[in-house]
Amino acid sequence: MRCAKIRKQISSYIDDQMGSDEKKAFSGHLRNCPDCREALKEVHAVHELFTSAEKFSAPYGFTTRVMANLTAEEPSRWWALFTRRPLVLRALEVSFALIVFLTGLHLGNRLTADKGPPAEQATIQQFFSLDLFQATPSDSVGGVYVALAEANHEK
Amino acid sequence: MASMNSPDENRLPKPFKDGDHSTFERIVQHYQDKIYNLCRYLLGNPQDAEDAAQEVFIKAFRKLKDFQPEASLYTWLYRIGVNTCFDHKRKSRPEPFKNESLAETLPSTEPSPEGQYQSKEIGRAIQSALDQLSRNSRTIIVLKEIEGLSYEEIAEVMDTSVGTVKSRLSRTREELRSLLEKKV
Repeated sequence: MRCAKIRKQISSYIDDQMGSDEKKAFSGHLRNCPDCREALKEVHAVHELFTSAEKFSAPYGFTTRVMANLTAEEPSRWWALFTRRPLVLRALEVSFALIVFLTGLHLGNRLTADKGPPAEQATIQQFFSLDLFQATPSDSVGGVYVALAEANHEK
Repeated sequence: MASMNSPDENRLPKPFKDGDHSTFERIVQHYQDKIYNLCRYLLGNPQDAEDAAQEVFIKAFRKLKDFQPEASLYTWLYRIGVNTCFDHKRKSRPEPFKNESLAETLPSTEPSPEGQYQSKEIGRAIQSALDQLSRNSRTIIVLKEIEGLSYEEIAEVMDTSVGTVKSRLSRTREELRSLLEKKV
């Protein structure tokens, strides 16, 4: 068997993935080929190195953080139920809700309009008029002056 | 591969598919170390590994509908893990691998300074070699040698044939042999 073929089989040999005949031929070649023996030794060393590499554990509180992130980003159950429906059904539902809303608005306006003429309301001008204020209160100097002036005028 | 009392190894429980949090929490607890370890070796540093591992479980929760009952749960998670790590690597920065980072956190149980030094050297050699491999070669070596998956499981994770896994693994081991020849 040629060395190139043997080199390709080294990996399968290490993982014990060879048939018995294949393994016999492989071992036979190795007995007579120091280069392939060396290659097997080196690939095996690589295998040993990586299989003995440190196994890292997830940091403390990892699961808690995952679950917190899930809860934070999960939409409400109603929203989830809504978004799971087919698009056509969702469009119908939105249209129906809109129709109900607009009908309610219209009926509300009609009911208010049927209650008769609106009560008299002060206009904005009246509301903010300066007449609301007494320019010369009776207990002020101006008030006393006006009272005296009116008394003289009556005389 | 992994023994699991609950939840079931190969079948996704119905409450899990329906988005039940407590069942999913048990799954996260069971697989967190495996997924974190995978991300740690594929990305090379603890912070990126934790971010990616968190993303794996969040994606898994979102993709419950896509899970095929005939697939096994852990190979499905590994597949999400491998894809997430490479997405993460692409998004985060052009050179995410740090040769020193793994070596710094290798086992610190060695009693002697010589042992610690040797351990750091091994960690540095492993990470440095992994950094030089292509995406597929790195994935295959981490799944086979570090995670201990079988050829069939690797084929399932990488969505390829067992024959491809065999030949790619053989080439990668040869490549690693030449890469590590001068370092160890």
